[in-house]
Amino acid sequence: MADLLSTSVSGLLAFQQALDVTSNNIANASTPGYSAETANLVEAPGQSTGIGFIGSGVDVQSITRTYNEYLAQQVRGSQASYSSSNTLATQAAQIDNMLSDSSTGLTATLQSFINSMQSVASTPTSTAARQALLNQAQAVAQQLNSYDSQISQYGSQLESQLNGDVAQVNSITTNIASLNQQIAAESANGQTPNQLMDQRDQLITQLSQYVSVQTTTESNGAMDVYIGTGQALVTGSTASKLTTVPGAYNPTELNIAISGGGTTADITSEISGGELGGLLSARSQVLDPARNAIGQASVAVATIVNQQQQSGMDLTGAQGQPMFSVGGVQVLPDTNNTGSASLTVTRGSLSALTSDDYKLQSTGGVWQLTDVTTGKSIAMTGSGTAASPFQAAGLSIVTSGSPASGDSFLIQPTAAAAAGFSVSLTSPSQIAAASLVQGTAGAANTGGATVSAASITNPGAWVSDTYTVSIGAGNSYTVTNSGGTQVASGTYTSGTPISFQGAQLSLSGTPAAGDTFVVGPNSPANTGDNSNILAMTGALAASTLNGGTTSVTAAANSLVSQIGVITQQAQNNATAQQTANQNATTALNNSSGVNLDKEAATMLQFQQAYQAMAQVIQASQTMFTSLITAIHG
Amino acid sequence: VTDVSISTLTFRTNALDSMESLQSAISNTQEQLSTGKSFQNAAGNPTGMAQVNQLNMELSASQQYVTNGNLATGNLNLENQALTDATNLLQSARDLALEANNASLSATQRKDIATQLSQQLQELVAIGNRTDANGNYLFAGHAASTQPFAQNGNSVSYAGADQVSQVQISENQRISAGDTGSSVFMSLPAGNGTFTTAAGAANTGTASIGPGTVTSPAQWVPDTYTITFTDATDYKVTNSSGATVTTGTYDPTAGGTVSFNGIQATLSGNPASGDTFTVAPAGQSSAFATLAGLITTLNSTTLNPGQTATQISQSIEQIDAALNNFGNVQASIGGRLNAVTASQSTAQSQQTALQTSISSIADTDYAAATTKLSSEEVALQAAEESYASLSKLSLFNYVS
Repeated sequence: MADLLSTSVSGLLAFQQALDVTSNNIANASTPGYSAETANLVEAPGQSTGIGFIGSGVDVQSITRTYNEYLAQQVRGSQASYSSSNTLATQAAQIDNMLSDSSTGLTATLQSFINSMQSVASTPTSTAARQALLNQAQAVAQQLNSYDSQISQYGSQLESQLNGDVAQVNSITTNIASLNQQIAAESANGQTPNQLMDQRDQLITQLSQYVSVQTTTESNGAMDVYIGTGQALVTGSTASKLTTVPGAYNPTELNIAISGGGTTADITSEISGGELGGLLSARSQVLDPARNAIGQASVAVATIVNQQQQSGMDLTGAQGQPMFSVGGVQVLPDTNNTGSASLTVTRGSLSALTSDDYKLQSTGGVWQLTDVTTGKSIAMTGSGTAASPFQAAGLSIVTSGSPASGDSFLIQPTAAAAAGFSVSLTSPSQIAAASLVQGTAGAANTGGATVSAASITNPGAWVSDTYTVSIGAGNSYTVTNSGGTQVASGTYTSGTPISFQGAQLSLSGTPAAGDTFVVGPNSPANTGDNSNILAMTGALAASTLNGGTTSVTAAANSLVSQIGVITQQAQNNATAQQTANQNATTALNNSSGVNLDKEAATMLQFQQAYQAMAQVIQASQTMFTSLITAIHG
Repeated sequence: VTDVSISTLTFRTNALDSMESLQSAISNTQEQLSTGKSFQNAAGNPTGMAQVNQLNMELSASQQYVTNGNLATGNLNLENQALTDATNLLQSARDLALEANNASLSATQRKDIATQLSQQLQELVAIGNRTDANGNYLFAGHAASTQPFAQNGNSVSYAGADQVSQVQISENQRISAGDTGSSVFMSLPAGNGTFTTAAGAANTGTASIGPGTVTSPAQWVPDTYTITFTDATDYKVTNSSGATVTTGTYDPTAGGTVSFNGIQATLSGNPASGDTFTVAPAGQSSAFATLAGLITTLNSTTLNPGQTATQISQSIEQIDAALNNFGNVQASIGGRLNAVTASQSTAQSQQTALQTSISSIADTDYAAATTKLSSEEVALQAAEESYASLSKLSLFNYVS
């Protein structure tokens, strides 16, 4: 009888504990990261009797959580990927939205600018048309400035988000380390602290939102967390700190460093996944390239228009002045440089100019240029002196001072161009619609040739003077300046302009030997001359960029579609990774989450078992009462 | 299919996730319907956005070319009108010259005609100085603000430029929006274009020489030739070196032509022995100089009849040349106006095509979007209803 009672009591206690576990499961049915727990029942040890072992009831051996580390890793991996893609998509969408307006976008603004040049060409004497062109020039400048300042604003938001994310990561890893310590302590007592482990695993999943991590579990239940290629973020109860450090070249662009054990290491290139990975990708794949590409367009517009302005004569009869100023090449020395070298970098050929950034590094006294965007080495001509600058990628580089081996400089040919883009002209009369030169046929000419055009093709080479082109026998010609010095000679071919001193003369008809043509400064009276402004529209439409394959408007348009493609890909990746993350989370929840129907069934099961056990005690009492009654009669 | 235990949390979050994604799809479709644009930014359709930008640029440029064409048309029409007026003017000057070319007119009658011609010269200068709607001179070329023609007495000088502005009327087509005063009025051939004729000032006969024609351009040797009558009917032609080129006989009653070196000139009237006529290479003249010369001839009291008749007929020849030049310029203007019309008509159809292309890429397909919206609505409604109904199911409802 005593055995019956103690067996029953063990059952009552075990079923009560099992019901407690079920109750806890039901209570946590909606708790994220909660792993359903199970009371594991085992039969109590038996007592040996003559007829064999008789069981002495039931015990709750342990309470375990249903947790699948493999599924949890899938959740974390997909969480990091989703978070990274989503962050990149959000950042890219800002630039995409900025560039995408087809009615006010850069291509539309540039076309309006070209159209207003056409209007000046149609009515070169109209001050209203000239003022409208200046206004459109202002609109181009405002748009480029606004793009640049918006990108800068997104950039500084991105940097502060990096700081915020690093603080979050540190807070989470500190908590993980602390939980690891408690878990190890509890495990040493032989118990599995399910609640602490749930909390810690949930924190690691949260950490994956910020950066991609790997984990290993130690025998004491603690979990080590690694980042990148194996830099330990959490080892047992110790957490390393992430910090943001100013970039070696550009202090406003923050890098990510890890510090632990007294050392700090830059791990920016190792970071992938999560918001941090997404932000770093957005900076290197979207913000910086967009700023550079807009800068390249700025340089192109300014260079083409300014060169044509200088090839023309304005309404006052003076040589045209540059219409735009544009920001120069940005040279950023590595803050770790120890030598005294410095660089002066200017832009040369527009067609060779790229929107990439470059690194110039001195190794053992030899300068080597690398395209940072593509990672490729770039061959340079010249020796880097003022007399013979290094020439490469549309840049002219003069070095001075002496570098220490390993010293390097970041050269950004176009990054600062859009910020410094502004309109230099102030008066409508300064627009150089007319050609700087005019050509006239000699009065005594006997041939049938007339001057169809005289223009400046290279204002840098033009020396203002009156030149006489004399046709000799066999269509040979010589060009002499006003001092009688010959400056060019050649053979005239019909349809090919005669070029000299940065100027060219186009004839129509056939000249006769002895004919002369004079090319000299245009007359200020030629206010109706529109040849230079027409040439300007042609120069803007011509393929002058990227080795002469791309026009300015095409480059602006291709930037829009490139950012669009990056945004679209990031959005598609984000959607795909979100689905993957949902699937992984579903799989993990199905494996370790709470199903209320199941808990209801379990509850009924243990409730009924408890009631049955109580009935056994009732039976035992009845049996005992029967026995007493029988004895006392 | 294996049965998987679905956690209660998953059931709820999955249902919410799918409802959220349906709501987002509906919002997307609704945006397409309300904006009329099938994509809102480049990420929605990167290639499409680039195409739309390119097409919009082409459309805008095409519209600008039409505007340019309209401006050119306006100027060319003004120029055409000026040339029609100038033609009428010279036509009536020519009639006056014919009227004056009559030996029976008195000196006073000639002066009266000269007065009328002076009036016409002033009118012709005024036509040459006409301006367009912006106050720019039509015939000044590049020197648009400089009055091209200045009259000093009977002498008219040109101060305009020799080059004219081009106007872009399509991507690959530029036309001259005008013509220079020098090409229209000034650089005209003197005489018949190859040579001029003149009667000697000391002639005593009444014979005059016509402007002449070129019969064989290849045989013409430019030089100054003198036709000298050795008597009333015989003549010789000598070149500038005094060498005799040809000799001939002239019949005063029938009139006759003198021919040599690929040219011929008609003589009429009675020459006296020793009378001379010259044939010289033609330089250039202007419509103004022709009228001025005619006025001088008619006002002159010292010219002999042969000189007067020769100069009047030469003036008529030059007036004809000017009229011919006006006609050529007008034909060229007509050609340019046609080019503008043709390019504008091409631009119209091109713009329609561009707008159609832009629309087909960028605009919402309303039929498709409406269908999509209603199917998304049905899906969302089904998801909401099934969730509302399924979430009520629980074993706990039956445990008491």
